[in-house]
Amino acid sequence: MEEKSSDLILSLRNVSKFFPGVRALDNVSLDVKKGSVHGLVGENGAGKSTLMKILAGVYEKDEGTVIFDGEQIEQTTPIESLHRGLSIIFQEFNLVNTMSVGENILLGRFREMHGMRGTHERARELLDSIGSTIDTYALVSELSVSEMQMVEITKALSFNSKLLIMDEPSSSLTDDEMKHLAEIIKNLKERGVAIIYISHKLDEIYDFCDTVTVLRDGTIIDTRPIGEMDRNDMIAKMVGRSIENEFPERPRCVGDTLMEVRNINTKKLKNISFELKKGEILGFVGLVGAGRTEIIRAIYGADKVHGHEVYIEGKEVKIRNPQDAIKSGMGIVPEDRKLQGLVLPFTVESNISMAALCDITKGGFINKAAEKKISERHIKSLRIKTPSSKTETLNLSGGNQQKCIIGRWLEMKPKILFMDEPTRGIDVGAKFEIYLLMKQIVESGGAVILISSELPEVLSMSNRVLTICEGRITGEFDPEKFSADEIMKKALG
Amino acid sequence: MNTQLILNKRHKECLNENLVLIGIVILVVITAVLEPKFFTPGNLTNIMRQFGPLSLVALGMTFVIIGGFIDLSIAGIISLVAVLTVYLIQPLGQIPALLIGLAAGALMGFINSLILLFFGAMTQAEALFITYAMSLFYGALALLSVDGATQHMSWIKRDISIFNEIGGGSIGFVSVSFIIFLVSLVILHIFQTRTYMGRSICLTGGNKVAAELSGIPVKKSIMLIYTISGFMTAVGSVVLFSRVTTASPVLGLNYETNTILAVVVGGTSLKGGKGSVIRTMLGVALITLMSNCLNLLGVSTFIQTMMKGAILVIAIWLDNRKEL
Repeated sequence: MEEKSSDLILSLRNVSKFFPGVRALDNVSLDVKKGSVHGLVGENGAGKSTLMKILAGVYEKDEGTVIFDGEQIEQTTPIESLHRGLSIIFQEFNLVNTMSVGENILLGRFREMHGMRGTHERARELLDSIGSTIDTYALVSELSVSEMQMVEITKALSFNSKLLIMDEPSSSLTDDEMKHLAEIIKNLKERGVAIIYISHKLDEIYDFCDTVTVLRDGTIIDTRPIGEMDRNDMIAKMVGRSIENEFPERPRCVGDTLMEVRNINTKKLKNISFELKKGEILGFVGLVGAGRTEIIRAIYGADKVHGHEVYIEGKEVKIRNPQDAIKSGMGIVPEDRKLQGLVLPFTVESNISMAALCDITKGGFINKAAEKKISERHIKSLRIKTPSSKTETLNLSGGNQQKCIIGRWLEMKPKILFMDEPTRGIDVGAKFEIYLLMKQIVESGGAVILISSELPEVLSMSNRVLTICEGRITGEFDPEKFSADEIMKKALG
Repeated sequence: MNTQLILNKRHKECLNENLVLIGIVILVVITAVLEPKFFTPGNLTNIMRQFGPLSLVALGMTFVIIGGFIDLSIAGIISLVAVLTVYLIQPLGQIPALLIGLAAGALMGFINSLILLFFGAMTQAEALFITYAMSLFYGALALLSVDGATQHMSWIKRDISIFNEIGGGSIGFVSVSFIIFLVSLVILHIFQTRTYMGRSICLTGGNKVAAELSGIPVKKSIMLIYTISGFMTAVGSVVLFSRVTTASPVLGLNYETNTILAVVVGGTSLKGGKGSVIRTMLGVALITLMSNCLNLLGVSTFIQTMMKGAILVIAIWLDNRKEL
């Protein structure tokens, strides 16, 4: 670990951070070399986000020293960090949707650029330097997710960043877009920019990183050159126990038809008809924006759609709103757990009991004892890591938040559970547990529709896969008989 | 070191939570020193009366704000309910007039919610403007219906004993208006913490999208919060005109700002989801005691208004700080 300090862009010594009741970071020491890609892996709640936020100046560290580019840094603010040359690209982008690409890249520095023309010219140069052809006059709201990411990266470069921290940069990118990202990372490295690359996708860590650090429960477990840590070793260090496989065995309990959907037609969706069988995991494969989410939202009554028919066990059901859907035995784990899934400032208990609340109400009054029992049962059986059932969900890590939402639906014993990107931004250990829960649901006679941008996940878990492209179902596959390439080809149209 | 840090944070939180209570205690002490008669039954009854209308309206507003919305229509509702009720006493008698007045308040609130839902106004800003428009509408209706003239209760030839009791009666040294407040407080507190619809309102305020996807009746909650607000405003209106024994068509003017002030100072978050009627009670107490104290000190009402503005800003600032 002893390096010449002039080779280091960032050096942390014994950094700690405490939150009420939690030790989020415990004596963390970390060195990042100039021009290297340093992978940071760990389960959700391991402390990665806290570490980043301290570096960015969002949080203040409680103990320890931070040396950036040879300079010891005490208190800092996000804008100071930026000017010092430390940029962070968060998972959720910080872009102004209603402004143009150029304006976003040089936000707040229009005067230095001598007005709008200068701004766009400079933005063009910066975009060209990473080989991007995005129009600087395009509105951010019109960009794809990967293009937005390019804009974020370019924005970071505009500050002459020496260190770029990327938090789950690939969580919503397709394979092609990933290749582009790989090129950009290579390009940045050649320029001498160091990168801290945070990801749950171990393939990427092996593809991009020179060094990898494993973080668990706020402490650093190990830091090594990437060549010296094999995959199983890394997973074992992350979760603190060894996991044999990334996916459980595919459930095999497909029965008769459970639900039939006919003719969903909207502006975006064209003639969507399909069947779902009892005990089946049905995967939807397609690009982000292909209409996967819209299909389940239409069935669930979350979007107003007319003229389609839904049959459950042969009987037609009319679903006008989510309440009707729940009554017909449906449940949904939505795409964005913070915006659509959880009521963040509320307790774990009231988030878990939400869907069942109606059933434990008598004469208008909630049976609080029953509510407590429900939440405690699921906290225990799903092993949700929380100080208590009265903790607000905003204090939980991503995986535990997702488990709260799944617990909410397990309580309802749903016949059909829609799971939209259920493992996005969730660590390996929690992912595996979520796969097991999916298996448990179908084995007890339910069915799951799984939407995921992670191809290996859909292909390993599903009994059947539908490819969706531009609002149409373009193919149906048995994932055991077809290769990923063949399936992806159909999904791309 | 670390345990102490955590303790410090707990202390800070505790201080933030109870800031209003501390303020109240300080005000009581200052007032008691300035005015030795403060603790006499007569003065206590007086303070309870001052508590009156504002506290009742604020209880209703609490639900609107917890639900993530806002209601500026109360100024109009107060005026219209007052004019309507007083007008009806002569032909119908006091009990029917009272019931119709209260029902009218609830109905006006309900109409607000229907308009919001019909136009798909799901944000606080939209609610702000729509309910302001409704306030103008109800207020104008009040002015039109009586040609702008103030109705005096002394003109009424029939029995108005109920209104006299509401306005000026007391049991022991506890004023009747304060009893009405306490009963409302208990009922609404149980409603919020124990019932399905109470919880639904809180969840709606916390995250409408997530609540709806989990089967929480969001639309029904929105209708209910405005109906409750309308009803409690009507109750406040009755207490108000009974005390001043006149029903002016501009009786409710400026009530909305004081009400929102009381709710927010109490600690109910303007962001929705968090808050309680108990906190609102403390907010009203703080504001009432503060005016009482400042009056004793001889501070001009202009300065008092300025201080109220400052307190509102500070309350919102404190609320935002909690999230860090």
